[in-house]
Amino acid sequence: MNMSVRFKIMIVLLPSLLVGYVYTPLQPGITMKAAVLHEHNTPLEIEEVQVSKPGPREVLVRPVAAGVCHSDLHFLDGSYPHMLPTILGHESAGIVEEVGSDVTYVSKGDHVITCLSAFCGHCDKCLTGHLALCQSPEVSREADQEPRLHQNSQPIHQFLNLSSFAELMLIHEHALVKIREDMPMDRAALIGCSTTTGVGAVFHTAKVEPGSKVAVIGCGGVGLAAINGAAIAGAGQIIAVDMVDSKLEIAKALGATHTVNASSGNAVGEVIEMTKGGCDYTFEAIGMKTTAEQSFQMLGSGGTATVIGMIPVGTMVELHGVDFLAEKKIQGSNMGSNRFRIDMPRFIEFYLSGKLHLDEMISKHIKLEEVNDALEALKSGQEARHVIMFDS
Amino acid sequence: MSRLEIRSEVTGNVWKIEVSVGDHVDAEDVLLILESMKMEIPVEVPSGGTLTEFLVAEGDAVEEDQVVAIIEVDT
Repeated sequence: MNMSVRFKIMIVLLPSLLVGYVYTPLQPGITMKAAVLHEHNTPLEIEEVQVSKPGPREVLVRPVAAGVCHSDLHFLDGSYPHMLPTILGHESAGIVEEVGSDVTYVSKGDHVITCLSAFCGHCDKCLTGHLALCQSPEVSREADQEPRLHQNSQPIHQFLNLSSFAELMLIHEHALVKIREDMPMDRAALIGCSTTTGVGAVFHTAKVEPGSKVAVIGCGGVGLAAINGAAIAGAGQIIAVDMVDSKLEIAKALGATHTVNASSGNAVGEVIEMTKGGCDYTFEAIGMKTTAEQSFQMLGSGGTATVIGMIPVGTMVELHGVDFLAEKKIQGSNMGSNRFRIDMPRFIEFYLSGKLHLDEMISKHIKLEEVNDALEALKSGQEARHVIMFDS
Repeated sequence: MSRLEIRSEVTGNVWKIEVSVGDHVDAEDVLLILESMKMEIPVEVPSGGTLTEFLVAEGDAVEEDQVVAIIEVDT
């Protein structure tokens, strides 16, 4: 896709497109610094962006810390489509700056973790306990309303209802959870996505049984969290699979009992041999067709594979049909099937009591201006996670 | 001119329609924006033409591979 051409076309067509934008003239709002993605596969630009005033059910949050997550890369390179321009970032913790007129859950000064699993609270998914699957549009602004983010009177598309690579975040009140103030903000930020996704996949999606045999493919932030979650859940055997030895070492520190360096080319065979017949639970935390298929192949009879990674849109996954006779199962997991207002405070207690290992997950603290370096480091697959620290 | 069906790659809800029936569109123009699992996903046209029919409206639920619009492709 030639995004340069597309961007130029968009500029040429702006007068006609603006006919569709019938929101009232933009309010002055607050000007802030943010990392803006204008075109896929180009560096984020640190620019001034305007953030709107909070609506009745919105909260203005000043992020203190924001994790740079591998999922951001999927949108940077366009393997997952998203409207541009946008501000990436979706894993953050911060302090409430201002609340809308109807917000009672938090007030100015509260410490919060933000979460992309914004829930409406009254749809079928929410009322049956599947808040992470809520698709209600009411947590966003409507198409004819002033956008939450704009730049030079043009809308900036908010990323996953959050956009945390910015000095301010304007979000729905159901996209945050209040947390205790003695929780370090850089660690809290990780709970906003990778921890909740990995640990939640183990606890909620797969419901790992104590004593069971588990394999986790991919030892990035989410995979390491799944390994840590499996250890907390009491899994008997936890096999970490990755191609980078340094990540496998971190995996051992987080609870992996065995490791497999997949560069040998026979990860499936090694896991089946280690478990004497296959796993009870496997977790795919990369987002590739091959590894998703391997997660199914690593199962023993009656086992369940859980795909957490974001497989590119349009990619098909192939399974050997006869394996279903052995009652092998495969399922997806979105944000760890979370109920984040319950889960995240619990994860904080796990951290403060030494069960959840977040310190090892952070490889570097950086400034917003260094976000492109952090994204490049993620591409290399060598480091755990960079966390942006905002000036207070 | 030939008729081209524009399909959605994903399941989602139509959040915003960007063009109108009768409009001329160029390749990679955004026809509409879907909200799907918290993402704003654009549905683009693969080649230039004239939009002759919209089969969805803002707020509608859309399934994967559902036809959302028809264009008459430029010759």
